[in-house]
Amino acid sequence: MTIPTAAQQKIDAYLKTLREGLSGLGDEDARDVVEEIRSHILDKAAVGGDIAPAAVASAIAALGTAEELASQYVTDDLLMRARISRSPWVILRSLFRWASLSLAGFFVLISSLAGYFLAGSFVLCALLKPIHPQAAGLWRLPDPEDVYSFSLRLGFGPPPTGGKEILGWWIIPIGLIIGMGFVLLTFRFGLWSLRKFWRPRRLPGLSGAETMQ
Amino acid sequence: MAKIDPQEPESAEKWEVQLRKGSLELAVLASLWDGRLYGLEILRRLATDSDLIVGEGTVYPLLNRLKAVGLVASECVESDSGHPRKYYRLTPPGRRRALEMSRIWTRLSASMDDLLTPLNKDRGKDKS
Repeated sequence: MTIPTAAQQKIDAYLKTLREGLSGLGDEDARDVVEEIRSHILDKAAVGGDIAPAAVASAIAALGTAEELASQYVTDDLLMRARISRSPWVILRSLFRWASLSLAGFFVLISSLAGYFLAGSFVLCALLKPIHPQAAGLWRLPDPEDVYSFSLRLGFGPPPTGGKEILGWWIIPIGLIIGMGFVLLTFRFGLWSLRKFWRPRRLPGLSGAETMQ
Repeated sequence: MAKIDPQEPESAEKWEVQLRKGSLELAVLASLWDGRLYGLEILRRLATDSDLIVGEGTVYPLLNRLKAVGLVASECVESDSGHPRKYYRLTPPGRRRALEMSRIWTRLSASMDDLLTPLNKDRGKDKS
């Protein structure tokens, strides 16, 4: 089979972009994908043993852009890993991906980030209490109009003026329990949302994509 | 909330896209029932043996996912054309899944046929 230089360059450029877009996959998986797509393009473009640049262009167009194709692989991979994962990091990475694709994903991501931020604040506060006992803790602020005015201090800077510390050393076990509780709840929420609402985008034919001839 | 115009042709089209999307997995598993095929063969099989109009860039990620969940297995085989091809075949869980999906599809399709019989009769009248 002979491949004209122009056709080869077109294939190489497409596969290079595809490979770059597959950076979220493992090296071996990404190499497999690239080789399979190379094989598809060559098979599709081969007419009587020869490959014409126009046939290569047509085969590539039918696949969609390399970025879109890579995105489908990466999204599928993240979704699958998120569905079976027990790692908050994998869930969070999947949420970032989902947020880049839909508004629902964006809201779930923001909620999850807020949950992890609160969790981190409570745990940090508990851990810093032994180091900065005067500054780390939970204070009730002296605001007569707002009885629910609290300040969670992480141990930097002076305590709030006139504030009354309400947990003392209890902030350590309570902060750890609340913090871990927030981690667990946020993780479960992210996982549930991903399993329940995130579906990979597949658009067979009808939408106007080029299809099998 | 935006109202959907029942006269809007796009509504039926969108529904059809979703229907096709939902049946693609079964179609791919079914195409592998008789033996191993590589990606382009699967696409050609879908094009000739089904009414599914499949975007080529859709099937490869789907095959990758089916492989990751253990419903299909793949192997690289050198071809006469000078480059290796990745062949897919159903695994035992894949065959079980295909049978189960096929059973559900057939049952649903039969019950829908019964329900749609009066509509199809009236549609014939409308056309005439």
